[in-house]
Amino acid sequence: MSFRRFLLKRTLIAALLTLIAVSVIFATLRLLPADPFSGLVASGSLTPDEVDQMRALYGLDEPIYVQYYKYIQNLFSFQFGISLTQQRPVGDIIIPALVNTMVLLLPALVATAIVSSLAGMYAGWNRGSWFEQSSIVVTTVFRATPIFVTGIFLLIIFSYGLGWLPAFGMRSSLANPDGYLETYLSVDFLKHYLLPFTATVLFYSGDFLMLARNSVVERMGSEFLMLHRAKGLSEMEQLGRAGRNSLLPLVTYFALRTGMLFQGVITLEVVFAWPGIGRALVQAILNQDYPTVQAAVFIMALAVIIMNLTADVAYAKLDPTVEAGDV
Amino acid sequence: MSSGYSFDPESITERLRSEAERAWRTLRFVLRDNSAKVGFAIIVAFGFIGVFGPMLAPYHPIEDTLQQGGSMMRLQPPGGKAVLGTTSFGKDILSQFLAGARPTLIVGLFGGVGTGVVGFLVGLTSGYFGGRVDEFLMRLTDLTFALPFLPMALVILSFVTPSIWIITAVLVTFLWKMPARVIRSEVMTVKERTFVKSARARGAGHLRTMFLHVAPNVLGIGFLYTAYAVGWSIVAGASLAFLGFGDPTTTSWGRMLEQVFRSGAIRVAWWWVLPPAIGIGAVTTGVFLVGRAFEEIVNPDLQTDQE
Repeated sequence: MSFRRFLLKRTLIAALLTLIAVSVIFATLRLLPADPFSGLVASGSLTPDEVDQMRALYGLDEPIYVQYYKYIQNLFSFQFGISLTQQRPVGDIIIPALVNTMVLLLPALVATAIVSSLAGMYAGWNRGSWFEQSSIVVTTVFRATPIFVTGIFLLIIFSYGLGWLPAFGMRSSLANPDGYLETYLSVDFLKHYLLPFTATVLFYSGDFLMLARNSVVERMGSEFLMLHRAKGLSEMEQLGRAGRNSLLPLVTYFALRTGMLFQGVITLEVVFAWPGIGRALVQAILNQDYPTVQAAVFIMALAVIIMNLTADVAYAKLDPTVEAGDV
Repeated sequence: MSSGYSFDPESITERLRSEAERAWRTLRFVLRDNSAKVGFAIIVAFGFIGVFGPMLAPYHPIEDTLQQGGSMMRLQPPGGKAVLGTTSFGKDILSQFLAGARPTLIVGLFGGVGTGVVGFLVGLTSGYFGGRVDEFLMRLTDLTFALPFLPMALVILSFVTPSIWIITAVLVTFLWKMPARVIRSEVMTVKERTFVKSARARGAGHLRTMFLHVAPNVLGIGFLYTAYAVGWSIVAGASLAFLGFGDPTTTSWGRMLEQVFRSGAIRVAWWWVLPPAIGIGAVTTGVFLVGRAFEEIVNPDLQTDQE
């Protein structure tokens, strides 16, 4: 199968998956027992007539297939509707939250990918060394421990115990920055940034370290390295050659991780009260705010699908031995 | 039977015994690794608390409110009547810790084993038959990859009352894809090997070939992923409980963390935070340490000779 056909097939599958995924999300949310307005009748805030008006306003009185059609149409034009509880467009809630999440996670992921991959290659090269053993144990501890538990440890040590860093949010309550630049480039922001950033770096370090280490170990006995050794290259130069050949799984893994990014840190955002998309989702669920829930879950699903596609394509492109027909 | 095999009890016990011996050998081999020893010890201790914890607890974790001089003991630091201190509702933390291991254990064990079994069967079927079956099952795994696990779990658990069993079911629904993919690719190599082909040639049926000839050769990977799935299930169960979507009737470690966090007592009550936090961290680490050591054996690529 040619690369073009492979690409086309994977893209089609990805598009189909997106459609099925959003349908599942739609169906799941319609299974919810009640909309948020029914509760207001019971508490006496609204009359049943007013509830009907509200339902009509939000399109909840239309037949289910009309709702479904509109829902699909709106999602793919990124029109997420209006929040049921905050009376403003869902986009206005979700987009800044998404930006906050990415500002937290992307630098952390890039940092840990670079540092731990290098450390992992070094560890694999020195198999059986003290460095290999201890780096594996340390990163396994942080990889295994749920990220919010690591976050809680950081919190009680550095915020509540030592009082060095603020415990929650993205800025102190007095700060009132204007625009993205001013928000993200300040000492105040940095102080709030440090703990969740550290927790994320520690959490992801284990996977990159193990992957890099394993793929170097797998290549240790291979002929091309023996050739390099015979050529008289130094240890470090040999490691460089082995490392370059070990990049493939790391690149793929990086793409997959980026896709999982948005859903992966819901608990972390809650621990540090980071105003990201995960925390927005939890709050929307607790408030039964469907449109916001839909939008947040849709974005998370889309991210995974797109990054999986990227990983597949990158893999096929980078590795000449992959027969695309089998993928 | 025409295939020349028979299913008499003797050959079955014989087979089981040889499998058990293999398992025992593997375990001994895994435990030569020092960090695996530590991990194994943690798991054993955890299992012990999970089974006997509620009996060892000095008080009832929820019903007993500790009193001192006629007033409720709120947020007492460790010492005196409450060895590990009390919560802001006057509950004994040691008792909650001991009782809280059980729901964590149940979710981890059943979620992990369920994931392992479903993933193993799907991977085996998919890899063995290939073709349309494979295509269908693999697109299904793609779909569960595309549906974000934690968000979907939160949505589902917001409209059914969470119980340990529902949480376990949700975990299996979303996690089986991980072992399924790996098992499938292993099966695809194994089924090309001569002994599988010769079994087929001698007239063994598909089911027989799958389970008696192919399956034993991928069992190691299956166990490895079951072990990891136990770890993932514990993490996921604790995360859900921490977010307030756990079983409201039980005291789990995740729920203890939720309560100390929500009540704001996390600022001062380190004695309330540390037991469940260390408990969760230690157990998941233990599982992964054993898993890593096991992986060194199961993954043949890692067995390069040292020069």
